Amino acid sequence: MKETFLEARNISKSYEGVQALNDVSLTIGKGEVHCLVGENGSGKSTMIKIIGGVVEPDSGSIVINGKAHPNLQAIDAIREGIQIIYQDLSLIPNLTVAENISLNQYVERKVNFVNWKDVHQIAARALAAIEEDIPLDEIVENLPVAKRQLVAIARSLTQNARLIIMDEPTSAITREDVEHLFAVIARLKERGISTLFISHKLSEVFRIAEAVAILRDGRKVGDFPAAELDDRKLTFLMTGREIQYTPYQFDGAKAEAPPLLEVRGLSRRGQFQDVSFSVRAGEILGLTGLIGSGRTELALALFGLNPPDSGEIFMNGKSVRIGSPEVAKRLGIGYLPEDRLTQGLFVGQSIGDNIVITVLKKLLGALGLIDPMKRKKLENGWMGELAIKATSARARAFSLSGGNQQRLVLAKWLATEPRVFILDGPTIGIDIASKSNIHEIIRGLAQRGIAIIMISDEIPEILHTCNRVLVMREGRLVKEIPNASATTEEELNTIVSGKAGNGAGQ
Amino acid sequence: MNSIFRRNEFYLLLVIIVFSAAITIVNPAFLTVENMFDLIRSSTGMCILAIGFFVVLLSGGLDVSFPAVAIVAQYITVNVLIATGVDNLAFAFLLAAAIGIAFGAVNAFFISMFRIPTFIVTLATMNIFHGAMLEFVGTKAINAGQLPNAFKGFGLTYLFSLPRGDGTYYGLTVLAAILVGIIIITWLILRFTVMGRVIYALGGNAEAVKRAGFNITRTQFFIYCYAGLLASIMGIIHVSLIRYSNATYIINTELLHVIAAVVLGGASIMGGTGTLTGTVLGVVMISILEKNLVLLGLSSYWQQFFVGLIIVLGVSITFVQKRFQGRRTFALSRD
Amino acid sequence: MNSKLSNNLTLFIILVVIGGVISVFLPAQFLTPINFASMGRQFPEYGLLSLANMLAMITGGIDLSVTSITSLSGVMAASVLSQYQTSAMPMGAVILLGILTALAVSVACGALNGILVAYIRVPAIIATLGTQGLFLGISIIITKGHNIEGFPPPFLFIGNGALAGIPMQFIVFIVVALLVGLLLVRTRYGFSMQMYGSSPRVSRFSGVNNESVLMTTYILTGLLSGLASIIIISGVNSVRPGYGSDYLLLSVLIAILGGTDPAGGFGTVLGLTLAIFIMQVLQSGLNILEFSPFFKKFMWGLLLLLVMVFHYYRRRYALRSAVRRTAAQREAVGQA
Repeated sequence: MKETFLEARNISKSYEGVQALNDVSLTIGKGEVHCLVGENGSGKSTMIKIIGGVVEPDSGSIVINGKAHPNLQAIDAIREGIQIIYQDLSLIPNLTVAENISLNQYVERKVNFVNWKDVHQIAARALAAIEEDIPLDEIVENLPVAKRQLVAIARSLTQNARLIIMDEPTSAITREDVEHLFAVIARLKERGISTLFISHKLSEVFRIAEAVAILRDGRKVGDFPAAELDDRKLTFLMTGREIQYTPYQFDGAKAEAPPLLEVRGLSRRGQFQDVSFSVRAGEILGLTGLIGSGRTELALALFGLNPPDSGEIFMNGKSVRIGSPEVAKRLGIGYLPEDRLTQGLFVGQSIGDNIVITVLKKLLGALGLIDPMKRKKLENGWMGELAIKATSARARAFSLSGGNQQRLVLAKWLATEPRVFILDGPTIGIDIASKSNIHEIIRGLAQRGIAIIMISDEIPEILHTCNRVLVMREGRLVKEIPNASATTEEELNTIVSGKAGNGAGQ
Repeated sequence: MNSIFRRNEFYLLLVIIVFSAAITIVNPAFLTVENMFDLIRSSTGMCILAIGFFVVLLSGGLDVSFPAVAIVAQYITVNVLIATGVDNLAFAFLLAAAIGIAFGAVNAFFISMFRIPTFIVTLATMNIFHGAMLEFVGTKAINAGQLPNAFKGFGLTYLFSLPRGDGTYYGLTVLAAILVGIIIITWLILRFTVMGRVIYALGGNAEAVKRAGFNITRTQFFIYCYAGLLASIMGIIHVSLIRYSNATYIINTELLHVIAAVVLGGASIMGGTGTLTGTVLGVVMISILEKNLVLLGLSSYWQQFFVGLIIVLGVSITFVQKRFQGRRTFALSRD
Repeated sequence: MNSKLSNNLTLFIILVVIGGVISVFLPAQFLTPINFASMGRQFPEYGLLSLANMLAMITGGIDLSVTSITSLSGVMAASVLSQYQTSAMPMGAVILLGILTALAVSVACGALNGILVAYIRVPAIIATLGTQGLFLGISIIITKGHNIEGFPPPFLFIGNGALAGIPMQFIVFIVVALLVGLLLVRTRYGFSMQMYGSSPRVSRFSGVNNESVLMTTYILTGLLSGLASIIIISGVNSVRPGYGSDYLLLSVLIAILGGTDPAGGFGTVLGLTLAIFIMQVLQSGLNILEFSPFFKKFMWGLLLLLVMVFHYYRRRYALRSAVRRTAAQREAVGQA
């Protein structure tokens, strides 16, 4: 039985009426790699902030090394060896690696003067501890993201860390870098340092975690040694029920029609290479792969935000150049972004405003001015069609729940009557009922003749919503599965993760 | 990489040298020791103001109140000295410094307590300080005859003198020593104190600085009080040099010149990067330009235009450079 | 929507209160037709500039060069007017030429600002700080520091005449304000401007052409400054480079007082107009009481700080109640 480093007992926390955490307990052993899994809104961020002493729980206690801390402050947590690495890494981009690593020392020691030799020594020592070699005098801004992450980890080691909490560390790095990161975590483990690794990416959880705690809607729904879990069980726990998917049947007759969108040899250095595929009206084409496989970059290329270096794109047989989202929109291509809060919605503006922003031309009446009647009709029409529940079209977008917000983003693009609709992670961070609702909507759209490209991480979702699947790995299209319903989850999983037995050396 | 830093200042130095060479060809009197001393004399003030502005800029702020602080500190100090009859330079400096630091503190207060954008705060305080002074102290100009000797003597003090042919002397003003002192102290602060490193850090990622546990409010107070202090020192130096105190001087001329100098010197408008060397070189360039526009065939009316042009071009080049350097995926970038 | 209404209502109340106080204490000088006419002639000058900065702020920027654009276009127009008024050209054509010159110059200046902000991506504050010097500099070069005086009498009607007793400038301002209001509420560009100001990123992801939104914004601010210059030079029958530089602080203050959020996304013409009236009434009061222009500078700076502090507290309060309201709203519609 491993020794326990930290115990969080019965933690509850609510913010202005919303229960973020409800009686959650967590135990982290010494030198253990523990994963905290859950969708957006499950309470993960709040949990780590409480463990780090940044936020105070309404009830419950934190016990570190056997000692209870009823009123844990950030400074106490740091003293006890708890270090949080936030998703944005909290690095100072214009300072050097050495300074960033030694940053904490400035605060710690309460000195007024900088001893540069000391700074370099501390940094060198920290880097040596994780066996990484990064030039100390390099400006952090010039480093690639993966290296910056290592700098952040090194920094957390300068204050005798015993537990390092990493918030979604793999969201912006390639697969190689992820391997590298895991190696570093293993090194930390050798030194007896525990890691609490927050993620919602299942494939990585299984690679590195020894124990997995699952949060859903503020409650802990499971706590298992990793060996006892698999994809299906984990998804079930994360989402709440075995999602009953009915496979999507693509109308055979439509398969004869010429493709709506065709892509040939699309490449962009460092992101994707020689990608070719096509989509027909009425199809739901799944696009999947691990992080860094280039899916979103490819999608953005089709949307005009990430122009390719070479290759061709054809809409209805005609060669097109998509230089901006404006052009994409005009061609009939719509894009539901990965992050609805920072890319999809004007959260401070009204629901109605969000809907009409994409189709202002349609609102014009006499004298080229916006006609309030047309506007109202459009707003209410789409709110009704997509069942967006709100007090009125003038309510602010931030007041909506996750599911409603996502439907709002859908509405704004559906209003443009797209012919090709790219959905990037359409059901991330959405409650279970809304999820299946959105799947229904997507199916309905395909039946109306829209060509849909759906990017997703969740294998079950892909297999049961799409009729055809493309798998990307490290920027290349490695496999096309012509008939999704004829493939099993295990098979797809294998292809995606590139484990043994996927054939043809791809 | 360090080579990038060296690049900007290096080119600027190159430009200065080439420009000076060109001027010397047209006017050989340019490259004489006496002219150099004169150049130093006349650019000392701008340089001190530029250093203050530079420090604030590093932290990500934009302080446009410094010309007002300079003239207010100067005008009030001169009037107090005259009114009280105390003709003491140290007293003058102390009083001016107190005023400058106080005004800096006001700036820092509103910036840190109420999260008001630095430009708006300093735009407001510039008018508050200057307006209040003009209203409550007065607008009467003080000429050399009324000016206390402390200032006049100070302005004429030289570190060492050299004879001209006709028996008169010229020299390197002691004000240069003050400037050098300020440069050294600022450099030490920025390079060797935690406060200095935090200033750089604030310009890079203020959120991270807060998370690390630094006392940002204290740093803000330091930054703006330091800028205020430098501005007030400049005010005293200014009146000592021109031997005239007019309540509307400085305020109309120095703002854009200082900004142009700092921009020319390679400091980033967004904060976080820049060097003292660059700032000083920028001041040198602007000074030379100012004094020798005539040689380009342009009357002094062209000054304002050139200063504005330098700012626009300088900043444009920086931002165009940035766009070519960072061709990352759109979704990962800021806009 | 609610907050816009409450904002404007607050401003209206402030206007009534201040106006009321001044009327009670200084009825003899304040409540006279002469005073009202005088106020009506004064405020359009900076009123137009305030409209300009409101537009810039709605997109999250600011235009510090408005007064310099006014200066430059005024100088150019004046040059044309004084040069051609003794020529063989008909008076009407000369005046028209003068006005067009002012507008063309101001649009060109605005376009430069637009290019810097939209295409080179220079932050608006620094771009317009630079162009401010540039434009003012050009006007100094042209005039060599002197005034230009003496324009065709019919031209002076704009700045000195009246229709049905209402000063011309006032009419011009009202018409322009209505047009700007219409722009914001009923045109694609106006709508896009506000959305862009809310979030440039989401705007781009929504297929909006961010560059043309910004270009339009700064061309408009330029145009408004050009209009202001026409009013100004016809009012005093002369032009001096640098006239109206004090208006910069005033335009920023009024825009913010009028409810425009300097961070972008929100602002109404009604609020702005109320703010203009408040400041004009205040100004008149101060004038009547014979306060010096220096005191005004002091007051305006102080007001700017006070308004920002007030907004700070109001935002904090609004955030708290918004979070509460959000939770309640989700309850009400069943949390789906």
